[in-house]
Amino acid sequence: MDATRLKPVDVVVIGGGWAGSIMAKEMTEAGQKVVMLERGPDRSTAVEGAYPGSIDELEGNYRYRLFQDLSKSTVTIRNNMRQRALPYRRMAAFLPGEGVGGAGLHWSGVHFRMPPDDLILRSKVIERYGKSFIPEGMNLQDYGVTYDELEPFFDRAEKVFGTSGEPYMINGQVVGKGNVFSPSRSQPFPLPALKDVHTAHLFRKAATEAGFHPYSMPAANASAQYTNPYGAQMGPCNFCGYCSGYACYMYSKASPNVNILPVLRRDPLFELRTHAHVLRVEMDSTKTRATGVTYVDREGRTWTQPAELVIISAFQFHNVRLMLLSGIGKPYDPVANEGVVGRNFVYQNVTTSFVWLNRNIETEQFIGTGGGGVAFDDFNSENFDHGPLGFVGGSPVWVNQAGVKAIAAAQAGGPPGTPRWGSAWKKGLVDTYRHSLRIDAHGANMAYRDVFLDLDPTWKDAYGLPLLRMTFDWKDNDIRMNRYVVDRIGEVARAMDARQVQLTRREFGVPFDTRKYQTTHLGGGAVMGTDPATSALNRYLQAWDVPNVFVIGANAFPQGTGYNPTGMVAALAYWSAYHIRQTYLKNPGPLVSL
Amino acid sequence: MSRSHAVPSRRTFMQVMAGASALVATPGVVARGHAASSAPPHAPVFFNDAEWKFLNAACARLIPGDALGPDAVALGVPRFIDLQMDTPYGRGQLWYMHEPFVAGPANLGYQLPHAPCELYRRGIAGANAWCLQHEGSDFANLPAARQDEVLTMMEKGEMAFDDIPSDMFFEQLLSNTMEGAFADPVHGGNIGLKSWTMIGFPGARADFMDWVDQYGVAYPLGSVSISGETA
Amino acid sequence: MRGGHVIALLAGLSGWGLHAACAEPARDERAEIAAGEYVAHAADCGACHTLPGHAPFSGGLAFHLPMGTIRSTNITPDPKAGIGGYSEAEFARAVRQGIRRDGATLYPAMPYPSYARMTDADVHALYVYFMKGVAPVAIPVAPNDIVWPLSMRWPLVAWRMMFVPSRDQAGQQVRRAFADPQLARGAYLVEGPGHCGACHTPRGIAMQEKALTAADGPLFLSGGGAVDGWNPVSLRGEARVGLGRWSEDDIVTFLRTGRVTHAAAFGGMTDAIRHGTQHMTEEDLRAIAHYLKSLPPARAEQATWRYDAATGRALHAGDLSARGARAYVDNCAACHRTDGHGYPTTFPPLAGNPVVMDASATSLIRIVLTGSVLHATHQAPSSFVMPGFAARMDDQAVADVVSFIRQSWGNAAQPVSASDVAAVRRSTQASTQGQEGAASSARQPMN
Repeated sequence: MDATRLKPVDVVVIGGGWAGSIMAKEMTEAGQKVVMLERGPDRSTAVEGAYPGSIDELEGNYRYRLFQDLSKSTVTIRNNMRQRALPYRRMAAFLPGEGVGGAGLHWSGVHFRMPPDDLILRSKVIERYGKSFIPEGMNLQDYGVTYDELEPFFDRAEKVFGTSGEPYMINGQVVGKGNVFSPSRSQPFPLPALKDVHTAHLFRKAATEAGFHPYSMPAANASAQYTNPYGAQMGPCNFCGYCSGYACYMYSKASPNVNILPVLRRDPLFELRTHAHVLRVEMDSTKTRATGVTYVDREGRTWTQPAELVIISAFQFHNVRLMLLSGIGKPYDPVANEGVVGRNFVYQNVTTSFVWLNRNIETEQFIGTGGGGVAFDDFNSENFDHGPLGFVGGSPVWVNQAGVKAIAAAQAGGPPGTPRWGSAWKKGLVDTYRHSLRIDAHGANMAYRDVFLDLDPTWKDAYGLPLLRMTFDWKDNDIRMNRYVVDRIGEVARAMDARQVQLTRREFGVPFDTRKYQTTHLGGGAVMGTDPATSALNRYLQAWDVPNVFVIGANAFPQGTGYNPTGMVAALAYWSAYHIRQTYLKNPGPLVSL
Repeated sequence: MSRSHAVPSRRTFMQVMAGASALVATPGVVARGHAASSAPPHAPVFFNDAEWKFLNAACARLIPGDALGPDAVALGVPRFIDLQMDTPYGRGQLWYMHEPFVAGPANLGYQLPHAPCELYRRGIAGANAWCLQHEGSDFANLPAARQDEVLTMMEKGEMAFDDIPSDMFFEQLLSNTMEGAFADPVHGGNIGLKSWTMIGFPGARADFMDWVDQYGVAYPLGSVSISGETA
Repeated sequence: MRGGHVIALLAGLSGWGLHAACAEPARDERAEIAAGEYVAHAADCGACHTLPGHAPFSGGLAFHLPMGTIRSTNITPDPKAGIGGYSEAEFARAVRQGIRRDGATLYPAMPYPSYARMTDADVHALYVYFMKGVAPVAIPVAPNDIVWPLSMRWPLVAWRMMFVPSRDQAGQQVRRAFADPQLARGAYLVEGPGHCGACHTPRGIAMQEKALTAADGPLFLSGGGAVDGWNPVSLRGEARVGLGRWSEDDIVTFLRTGRVTHAAAFGGMTDAIRHGTQHMTEEDLRAIAHYLKSLPPARAEQATWRYDAATGRALHAGDLSARGARAYVDNCAACHRTDGHGYPTTFPPLAGNPVVMDASATSLIRIVLTGSVLHATHQAPSSFVMPGFAARMDDQAVADVVSFIRQSWGNAAQPVSASDVAAVRRSTQASTQGQEGAASSARQPMN
């Protein structure tokens, strides 16, 4: 298939989600002519979020209206290297997005800054517990960038997203009732924290009684109408509960579509091409320079878009796959323990526990917001002494009631031991829906030598290219961490005067199950760092081997974290863009010399 | 456009909407009336007579009528499933269906070559064949208690319908039954919003600004659907 | 291309004001084209002559009138399909007197009774712009379908003679005495190119505007008859239904962004802002605001609007016993709030909104039925869409909710009936047939 060569542009951006939209905005501000390629359709609140038709749980959460079209492309998954990986044929464990806005359109809105210690986790663990504390086979690494360096970019992202939250410390001064473990900020949140829903209110009280330090979760669901620095406007969140899986009809959940693209679309330097499925980044004969990008359009025609600078900013695993398909960076070989692309693939270690309250308390689980809630960080990051516990990593604990809707409630059913259908199920369902609440342990997942991404030898996508293969399972360290933290949930449940509690712990020997939704927070695989032997990208997210390629996304995380990734991805995008603008565009070449 | 993943074809969709707009035209009447516990008139588009009987019988056991609310048939669940067969979802177009199809451990997920509509076709035929062989009658004609036992065996994977383990078919049926009963009535089930009123789900109002912090006050407003039907 | 012109114009505009009529023609053609483009914005030519999604000024926008459908013409410089063959004198005669090149009289959907006041300099700049700054489009517009005998244009000649000011009369009106130059400039823009009265002034038996300038008396801009189901409100100083509670800053911001704390633009005004006022200079918008604020109330006004918290309290407590209250919380309250305050400037308030309290409920009924789009402007890049509820609510339900809105939060306007709603539903079905269906995807904002 011969590709038609298009007129060259300065920058091509692959993917129309948060990372791509931030990079495109920054590059047009720097005077660059930018083409954004998005493989899915164009999307807008006017269409995808139109009330009342969009308030449809079946379409949003069960027919995956805003998500990746698996019929064209998916991944294969296995638990270990001895198994044959099989295709992920139906959406379940994780839900990658597609279309303009990407995951940034269907996300919930939880918007954290990365804990400072998580950015230097290897150094921190060695400093506190000694090198031997790191389990065999765990590839613990630092990011190569510090919180202080990223702070202005966390701040920028919060202002663009219209993030609601309660600060704790600003410029070293305690200013509010926010998270006592959170680092100092240069500015307050642009909006005050969202109100607590009833369950979060009860959880806040109980967590305090249990001796923990609850705080309002920072949320990119606006607590009031808001105009961001680009002039884009948001409505206020009204706790409708249709965040995750939906375009927010109130324009109150931050998305590239609402917060950045209205401005970008008006910019003559910016061009968006939808239904443009990128096949590969084109390389010159030296394999050290990208010359552009080849993609297929809706009609099956193939085009090559030449560009001076290529920004790969699709979803985490698409970025890794595109690097592998294009020959950017050395593919990871777990046996030889060499190569970097595919290395340190991580997930997130989430379990949800249930608490039943007395029947005179209505928990109104349908009221909710994707990013809001109450959390405590006493067992997250390095906020507690791991020495006697013997594991690395931690987990925030929270009530993040995002709006439990009817189908989800029916499928969850009643308390443990209740049948899944019939009259007993009905009784359990009604009791549970009206009087229970959910508490998550939202833990980190560490990176291991034998957990990785590569190309599948068997299955192909609709364009004849190999699918990405995931080799993933839960490890002893992460299971022990989860069980320790879930026991702390038990302490809170006792303080809530619970009638019944179901503590959901990760079990030893139970493999990763692709059939049950866990989270879409996948990370790593093309990580940032200071050593090209253990990272695919330098600390500016520039490909070590191909300096005119930058790869922006959660793929850059060297290991998992307890927090949701979007805040960090956005900050990394602004961080990378800043250095491209300040340094790279003036003198294209490696931003880190070895 | 991508909007209509779950919306059935125009013809069948109009059947549902004709009913819905009749409700809109007389607001309050349906809301306050008590629907008789009988199936809505629906001529199945996908299922044949034998399949339709099975589907009605099985759904009515998965969600039986009782003091809490009507059964799945009165809720229009079989109609919902029938309409879903005529969608990209029903035809398997939302799934990765590329060869080869290789069996593997259950935790690596679905690996059969069958779309949902095919799972129903084969699963129902297999279940009826099993009942005929072991009970001397097809499923729909068994007493309710025996139907429950057969469904329990299916759920536990104690049968196989050719290459389809019975629990796989059962999960398909159960999840679609829950979807039909609890989804917006625009999709053909949840007639009269009765599943929502049973659990206290407000539906498509999607605004709780006044209620988010009225702690201890039970949310008092009834349900409303996408078409504007209220209960 | 056009963006560049606007910037060039804004940079060189200071001093271009009331005295433009006496100014020398610009030597630099680009500056002249830019000046003409500015006049085209001030005269809002694009709102009628540009169909969404089509080439600028290629015409084709349908006006559904009781006598039939007329379409705006192609005014690109194409010699056959457009106005390329017009001399400047012919152009000026068409714009200001409504006489086509062949001598026929234009339908007064073209606001030449207002344009009659435009200065020679402005008409010249406009001519240069249309001839040299607009790309020719060779596609002719479909003919009007007005049935005989109304299709005969000769009665229009009589109409024109009776209702369109002559050059002398118009000149005198423009040169009448004003307290200050800003007021004079504002009057010129509003009464002349801006043709605000075409919608906002009531019309007489022959469809003529009952007043063409502020000097003609208090009917001028006192609120017009429904256009496409939208009811233009009074732009005079009434405290409830006019601009009495608006500051000059509010008016400037509204004309620039379509959104202020009191209200948001909808209906035809969104096009007027999008094609017209958002492109105007701060100085000119201030002049318009200053002039509008000089217009006293048309009629002795009832007491000023005062917020009444009772409705909000009842809804907040879950009391939906008032007629229309349930429909309000099911359909409206998410954005406009149970307290009626909305979330300005994202979602406009209903409490105290002049449109809501207007004697005519037509606009309110129409917006509930069809929804509306608040378009992005240069300074407000976000668009917001209100969905239409025609499919979700029957006539009685709409009547109940509209009456509820008109009688809550101190609004105290008359209730409406199901037959009022039915009439608006019929008229909007007629006016949205065809053109909006085709244009709606092009109109759909993308945020």
